[in-house]
Amino acid sequence: MVTHYLSLSVILFCLGILGVVSRRNVFIVFMSIELMLNAANLGFVALSRLHVNMDGHVLALMVMAVAAAEAALALAVIILLHKHKGNLDTNIFSLLKG
Amino acid sequence: MTHTVTYLGFIPLLPLAGALVLGLMYLSTCQGKQISERIYGILGCVGPVLSFLMAAKVFFALMSLPAQERFLTHKAFTWFAVGDLNVSMGFLADPLSSLMLLFVTFVGSLIHIYSIGYMAGDKNFGKFFAYLNLFLGSMLILVLGDGPVVMFVGWEGVGLCSYLLISFYSDDPENVVAGNKAFIVNRIGDLGFVLGMAFLFWGIGADGFDYLSLKANAHHLTAPIGLTVCLLLFVGATGKSAQIPLYVWLPDAMAGPTPVSALIHAATMVTAGVYMVARFSFIYAHVPVAGEVVAWIGILTALLAAIFAMFQSDIKKILAYSTVSQLGYMFAGVGVAAYSAGIFHVFTHAFFKALLFLGAGSVILALHHQQNIWKMGGLQSKLPITYWTMLIGGLALAGCPPFAGFISKDEILYSALATGHVGIWAIGVLVAGMTAYYTFRMIFVVFHGSPRDQEAYDHAHESPKVMTIPLLILAAGSLFAGSANIPAIFGGHQRVSHWLAPSLVEHHPHGGLGLEILAIGASILAFVIGISIAYRKFTVKVDEPDYQGLYNFCYHKFYVDELYHWVIVAPYQFAGKAISRVLEPYVTDAPVQASGWLYRMCGLAFKVVQVGYVRIYAVYMVIGLSILSLLVSRSLNF
Repeated sequence: MVTHYLSLSVILFCLGILGVVSRRNVFIVFMSIELMLNAANLGFVALSRLHVNMDGHVLALMVMAVAAAEAALALAVIILLHKHKGNLDTNIFSLLKG
Repeated sequence: MTHTVTYLGFIPLLPLAGALVLGLMYLSTCQGKQISERIYGILGCVGPVLSFLMAAKVFFALMSLPAQERFLTHKAFTWFAVGDLNVSMGFLADPLSSLMLLFVTFVGSLIHIYSIGYMAGDKNFGKFFAYLNLFLGSMLILVLGDGPVVMFVGWEGVGLCSYLLISFYSDDPENVVAGNKAFIVNRIGDLGFVLGMAFLFWGIGADGFDYLSLKANAHHLTAPIGLTVCLLLFVGATGKSAQIPLYVWLPDAMAGPTPVSALIHAATMVTAGVYMVARFSFIYAHVPVAGEVVAWIGILTALLAAIFAMFQSDIKKILAYSTVSQLGYMFAGVGVAAYSAGIFHVFTHAFFKALLFLGAGSVILALHHQQNIWKMGGLQSKLPITYWTMLIGGLALAGCPPFAGFISKDEILYSALATGHVGIWAIGVLVAGMTAYYTFRMIFVVFHGSPRDQEAYDHAHESPKVMTIPLLILAAGSLFAGSANIPAIFGGHQRVSHWLAPSLVEHHPHGGLGLEILAIGASILAFVIGISIAYRKFTVKVDEPDYQGLYNFCYHKFYVDELYHWVIVAPYQFAGKAISRVLEPYVTDAPVQASGWLYRMCGLAFKVVQVGYVRIYAVYMVIGLSILSLLVSRSLNF
C-alpha cells in the first residue's frame, strides 16, 4: 500500500521540479516549490503510518509551518521584484550572468 | 641627585592639548558656521602662556636647589622595553633644558599673540593656531625629553609642523614645493640622527638610554664609536639647524606666514641642533675631532650665508640667511667646546631674530604683502614703533655693544681665539662685519631715504597694538638679554655660563686679558666698518642694482640650489623614471600580472555555467542533489 503513496509523492515532486525548471513566471515557480514541499510531506506521513511512529507527522507539521513562513517572505519578495522591474519573468532577473 | 616633579609633563602637554582642541574646533566648522577669531586666538594663546608660567616655576624650583642637584625628572610611563632598550616617556629639567624652556615658551607666547593681529581675516585662522600650538608642543617635548628617543619624538614633530606651516598658503604650488623641500631635506638629516642614536645605544645604551645614565657611562665609549656617533648626530643637526650642506631648505621656508618664520627661526626648530650638540656635550667633549668638524662647518656656513644675505632683495630672505649665518656662529661655539657660549647665543638670538621677523611682518602687512626691499623706503615716519624696535633688533644682530648679540657673539669669538682656533676667529670677525653691513643695508633701504613706491607708501600704516606690544617686549629683551652673561672684563659674573655648568661638560678657556681685548676690539671694529659702508651706500637714494657678473652669481646664491638639483635631484628623478618605466612594469609587476591573468583564464572556463537564469541554477541543484543522494544511498547499501 505504502508504495502507492510514495509513488504519488515522487510524481508530485517531479512535477514540482519540472515546474521550477521550465516555467518562467515567478508565481508558477513559487507554486511549484510549494508542490515539492507537499510531496515531501506526503512521503513523511506515509512512512510514519508504515512504522506506526509519530516522528513523520511531527516533521510534516514542521514543514507546513516553515512553508507558511516561507510563503510570507517569498510573496513579499515577489512584490518587490514586480515593483523593481514591472514584470515577473524570471529571465529578466539575470544579474548573476557570468 | 634628582628630584621628581609631576608638573613637568604638563609643560608640553598644554600646547598639545590646545592643538587638539583647536584642530577639532576647526574641523567641526570647516563646512558650516565659522567660530570667531577671538575665541581661536584666546584658546591658542592659553596653552603657550600657561606653559611659560610653568617653565618659570621650573626655573625657580631649580634655582632654589644647590647647583649639583639641579635635576628635576618626571617619568610619565614606560614607552617600550625590548631587551636592554628600556625607554620611558620621561622628562628632565636641568639648567640647560630649563633655560631653553624659558625662552622657547616666552618667545613662542609672544609670537602667538602677535599672530592674532597678523593672521586676522585669514580663512584658515583656526588651523593656523592649531599648527602653531602643535609646533610649540613638539619643541617642548624635544627640549624636555629625558633621553635621545623622546627628543627624537619632538625632533620629528617640529619637522612635521614646519612642513605644515611652510606650505600653509597651499593655494600656491610654490609654497607646497617649499614645504616639501623642508620636509625632505630634514628627513636626510633625521636619518643621520637615527643612525647616531643606534650607534650610541650599541656603544653604551645597555645601562639605560637616558641622558643621565649615558652621561655616567660616557667614558666607556670607544673612540671610533664616539666619533661615529658625534658625526652622525651632527648630520641630524645640519638638517634641522640648516648648516652646510643641508641649509637650502631654510630660505625657502619663507613661503610660510611671517609669524611661522619667526617661530622657526627664533624659538623652535633651528635651535634644536645646537641644543642637541650641547645636550651631548658629554660625548662631544671626548671627541675633539668631531668638535673641529662642527666648528669649521659652522663658521663656513656663517660665511656663506652672510655672503648670500648681502645680495638678497627679499626682506624675509635677508633675515633667513642671517639666521643661517648666526646658527653657524652657534655651531662654531659648541664646536670649540664653548657649549655655554653657543647656548647663550641661541638665547639672545631668539629675542632679536623673533623681533626682526615680527618687525618685518609688520612692514610686509603695512605694504600689503610687499616683500621686496627695493619697493620700500622712507617708512621710518609711517611705522615709528616698527622702525625703532627693528633698529634695536638690527643693532643686536649686528653686534653693537652693549646689545644682546654683541655679548653672546663676542663670547663665541673669544672662545675660538682662546682655544687656538685663529682661523675660525678670523672668519668670525669677517662675518661680523658682513652681518653689520647686510643688516643695515636692509634697515637703511626699508626705513630711510625717500619712498620708492609712492602709492604703497601713502597707504602704509602702523600695525595694531596686539602686534606692536610683542615687538616692544622683544626689543626690551634684545636690549637686556645680554646682561645675563656679561663677561668678567666688563665687571660681570657670566651668570648663564655658571647656571649651565651642571648640565655641560666644558672647560672655560683662559686666554688672558690681552686676547679678550683683541677679540672685543676686532668685533667692534668689524661692526663699525660694516655699518659705515652700509651707511655710505644706502642712505643716499639708490635703486635696485642690476644683477650682473659676480653680483648676479651671489644674488642667485652661487647657484647651489641649481647644483643640488642637477647633481642629486635630477639623477634621482631619472632613476625613479627608469624604475617606473622599465623595472616595475617588466620585472616586478609582470609575474604578479601573469598570475592574475592565469586566474582570469581559469575563470573563463567556468564562466559558461553562469547563465544568470534562475531556472538553470535549479537544474544544477537537482542534478547535484541527485548525484549526492545516489552516492549516499550507495554508501548505505540500500
